[in-house]
Amino acid sequence: MSTVGGGPPPVDLSAEMAEAAAFLSKPTPSAPSSPASRSARTSDLSIDEEIALHSIGWEPLQLVCGATIFSIPMGVWNWGQGEIGYASNAYAQAFAGASDQLHRECTKVGGRGVVGVHVEAEVQRHHVDVVLVGTAVRPVDSSGLSADPIFVSDLSGRDFSLLLASGWAPLGLAVGASFVYAPRRSAGMAMKQKSQNVELTNFTEAMYSARESAMERMQQSALSMSGTGVVEVKVTEGPMEFARHAVSFTAYGTVVRLAADRHRSLSPQMVLPLDDPVQEFDITSLRG
Amino acid sequence: MSDVPADLPEAAERRFTEGAFTSGLTVPDFAACLQMGLEPVGYVQGFCVMQWQWYGMGSPFGAFGSPYAGRSRGYAESWQCPHGFVSAEHRGWGQNYEQSWIEDAWRQGFDGAYGRMLGEASTVGAHGVVGVVDASQPLGDLGVLEFRVQGTAVKVRGGSLPADGRPWTSYLAGQRLAKSIEAGFAPVSIAASVASVRVWAYCVTEYLTEGSSGSWGYQVPAAEIEQTSKAHMAVRRIAREQVRAQLGSDSLHGASMMTTERELGQGDAELQCILRGNRVRRYKAFDPLPAPRPTVRLL
Repeated sequence: MSTVGGGPPPVDLSAEMAEAAAFLSKPTPSAPSSPASRSARTSDLSIDEEIALHSIGWEPLQLVCGATIFSIPMGVWNWGQGEIGYASNAYAQAFAGASDQLHRECTKVGGRGVVGVHVEAEVQRHHVDVVLVGTAVRPVDSSGLSADPIFVSDLSGRDFSLLLASGWAPLGLAVGASFVYAPRRSAGMAMKQKSQNVELTNFTEAMYSARESAMERMQQSALSMSGTGVVEVKVTEGPMEFARHAVSFTAYGTVVRLAADRHRSLSPQMVLPLDDPVQEFDITSLRG
Repeated sequence: MSDVPADLPEAAERRFTEGAFTSGLTVPDFAACLQMGLEPVGYVQGFCVMQWQWYGMGSPFGAFGSPYAGRSRGYAESWQCPHGFVSAEHRGWGQNYEQSWIEDAWRQGFDGAYGRMLGEASTVGAHGVVGVVDASQPLGDLGVLEFRVQGTAVKVRGGSLPADGRPWTSYLAGQRLAKSIEAGFAPVSIAASVASVRVWAYCVTEYLTEGSSGSWGYQVPAAEIEQTSKAHMAVRRIAREQVRAQLGSDSLHGASMMTTERELGQGDAELQCILRGNRVRRYKAFDPLPAPRPTVRLL
């Protein structure tokens, strides 16, 4: 049912709140139990995300996580040439290990995938720590195993809903990382450049090299999942804090594939907010 | 008043009966609460200050000075050195274990502050507390931790207390609480737990954490640091199990998981995970809201 303006009918929130309070005032048949009840559900999605999920017929199941710490051998950050293979490999292995655990936990609770994954990836001198935390989800009231593989996505509940509504499906997290030595400059070159503002081509080239390797790995990861693209790619780049002569480039995002026959346009409606933003006095404007 | 807690200060009791309400709500949240038939009656708070340090002999939470001889319960996992006896300094044995006495102390502090806040809410005749904020922070360098829980006590127009006689609580307020109610979820209480896991590294964890293969050459220098990985998984699992044990058949919404790691030596660490969220109960059958209409804002 909809109103004349096409929107949903207004909700009497006061009546809904009174109904909720009346429900709580009745004794519950099941008191909290220990150990954890099997039916208790946990989710780190916001209420907005949860409503967005429900609007497309999905529901959250459980908070799931995966963590892997992978070591980097001593001495690999010392001066050298080309890619620092041990570090790049450690990053990939730590991410893969954490992702595998996330898959296992999702399977255990009967989820079809994990959304809103928070990625914590920290590169330290002798180890890479990767922790993934998200919420396992499934279509409402579905049970049993699905033929589709479990997906892992860092998209929010809102973005996941939009993606599905437009006919696409998330497949997994694609990751690429590369750590590269910036080549040493000759003593003469260093002296010459010290008094000039000039491009340090050794660092630029190292950055490009790390970037190409990392992006290539991320795309290969997407292709291995039979994806057609990666959305919400997040990149970090720059010199390592503990080894300034080494640069890093990391990238990850959610692999997607068209699940419907063709892309469905969402035809967004344009809205013009009528609330003026409050113009506040900016004290810093007095500084001139 | 019969339900006034014994430790409520006299001044607080007097203040609550003065007539004017106090609230921590923003104006939009205040307007949304009125729209839901929630009338703010008072800004209620609970505090509990705990002695907080490495517990020693004689403490009710103590481990009696030995890392292995504490009254630890729950998770514990051991690792044996693969090298055989090498020297007295060689770490031949490692263990991850749950520091249940720290979890108990945290629970005592949190529950103390939470109970006092609920006591204040009951004093003003509230049915619930919205917009709850909780924190725990050290007080100076005194080895003291302060637990604080506060929120706005509200009455439901025409409503009554929950069946257990204690006001319901929620971290949400205003529009977010309204959306939760509209989606069919009644607030029951905030839910929080802490898990603490200690890592005593054995030789392999020590070598891998410092990037070496050891003098014995048995250890591949690039490998997963299994003991630390398992500790990270365990501390998050324990926190989730503890919260789920509080839920019964209810659900936890908007969970926030915060994990901190304190390095105590090469490979040694203490991990702490705090998980909190809103315990909610479905009060009406699943009734999905209409699919949101995508919009583009013209600014």
